[in-house]
Amino acid sequence: MQEKVEAEHILSMNSVEVLYDNVMLAIKGVSVKVPKGEMIALLGSNGAGKSTSLKAISGLLKAERGRISRGEITFQGTDITEVLAQNRVGMGICHVIEGRRVFEHLTPDENLTAAAPRGMSRSALNAEKEKIYDYFPRLAERRNSQAGYLSGGEQQMLAIGRALVTQPKLLMLDEPSLGLAPFLVEEIFGILQKINQEEGVSVLLVEQNALAALEIVSQGYLIENGRVVMHGTAEALKSNSDIQEFYLGGGEETDFHNVKHYSRRKRWLS
Amino acid sequence: MDWVFLSELAINGALTGLLYSLFAIGLVLIYKASSVPNLAQGGLTMVGAYVVLALSHDAGLPLWLAIPLAAVIMFGLGFGIERVALRRLAGRPVVMILMLTLGLDIFLRGTTLAIWGGTSRSVDLGVSYEPLFLGDIFISRIHLVGAGVALALFVAFMLFFRTRTGIKLRAIADDYMASWSVGISVERGVGLSWALASVVAVAAGVIWGEVQGVDQALSLLLLKGLTVAVLGGLDSILGAVIAGIILGVVENVGADFLDPLVGGGSRELIVAAVLILTVMIRPHGLFGRHDIERV
Repeated sequence: MQEKVEAEHILSMNSVEVLYDNVMLAIKGVSVKVPKGEMIALLGSNGAGKSTSLKAISGLLKAERGRISRGEITFQGTDITEVLAQNRVGMGICHVIEGRRVFEHLTPDENLTAAAPRGMSRSALNAEKEKIYDYFPRLAERRNSQAGYLSGGEQQMLAIGRALVTQPKLLMLDEPSLGLAPFLVEEIFGILQKINQEEGVSVLLVEQNALAALEIVSQGYLIENGRVVMHGTAEALKSNSDIQEFYLGGGEETDFHNVKHYSRRKRWLS
Repeated sequence: MDWVFLSELAINGALTGLLYSLFAIGLVLIYKASSVPNLAQGGLTMVGAYVVLALSHDAGLPLWLAIPLAAVIMFGLGFGIERVALRRLAGRPVVMILMLTLGLDIFLRGTTLAIWGGTSRSVDLGVSYEPLFLGDIFISRIHLVGAGVALALFVAFMLFFRTRTGIKLRAIADDYMASWSVGISVERGVGLSWALASVVAVAAGVIWGEVQGVDQALSLLLLKGLTVAVLGGLDSILGAVIAGIILGVVENVGADFLDPLVGGGSRELIVAAVLILTVMIRPHGLFGRHDIERV
């Protein structure tokens, strides 16, 4: 019975601790589960440990001299804690890193080619590209211009498209809404939702923009100071008064007295 | 003004310049994948020439077999250098890697000195020293052959960088982290660029070994190769070729004017001036990429 429950989670992260440079504890026992085919959000403020959690899952920690010092991560039932980042991509985990980071001097088309898995045939790659251009028609128009000159929204679309070429089963996105106009965030999130439904790709979304994220995910985790402080369905989180007050910009009173109240409550929360 | 003499200087200068491009292409290959100017490219070229000599003169293989075999050996050596030395330095400051390549150059020079001694030897390519006349203009045959090799490598690499593997190498040069994130093996890519640069080093070593003999002085040609690479823009293969021609012509024609005035030795001055002026006036060279800043 336990086995069956485990199998339904494409990813589970169990009390993972991450150390940077062997001294700095960035996350302190984070447990996150992603059910197969669902969209999950990690919410929280700057420096809470959301990005570190994603890097622990994708293995990119190593490039920043970080390592998992405790806990383990399993993907489709296999322990991947010690697997190299590039092999995790082969297993179906793709991480769209923060700040878009497209290959600026390549064209969008070449950006997609660069991400092709080893052994993918030319026709399969072309079919994959067409599918991505269908999701992001804006990219199709500019497929042969230089990627560094695309707009911020287009670069984010390209970063997502590039990740899709790797044939992910779990797509992880770090702050895709960062620096984008609200209508673009809506457009990109809508496309993500479509990809999730049509391709069956599970999605783990890191966002500061909780309002937008909670509209498309089924569950959310709230991370503060390297710990998960709250976990629930999107509906439950949206109606939680703390979340409303701190992350959704809600709350009724806004006078100075309540600003102090805010910082007191937040300390209690973590 | 003697126009025939001047065009002879210019044409032979251009041909010599294309021989410098042989160094520059090797430098560009490595710079494209790892953003490090490889100060060991001169050492690699020298080793390439010695390996060819060892296979042909010492082991008695014919040159048509010795040269491709040397290319294979050097291909392996290039991968080996990444595996043994560079991989540990991934993610460290560029200056560390730069110092490593400098150390590697000195190491290679010392090794060849210990194994083969310091006497200059010739490759004996069998290219005739008979002058070739184009109208009234005298052209060196070996320079012509070398220039042809440089142009052939240029075309080959231009095509290579359009293949999937070539695109992945360019992606690595753009962004290591993003490359890792989509499963590109950065380590293997950097290794491949070193391996290819080492193969180019065999070509450069054979041609230059024929022009000036095989000894440790071969590695000093790095300075001219580096000047060409910087002038062309460190990451542009096309730049390496065009800048090679420019530097060769300027050096040959300029030296002819300046040498009588300063009493010789102005070639080095011209090369140094080109290097310094390029860095001061146009740091990214003629065809090098700018870092993109969107407005």
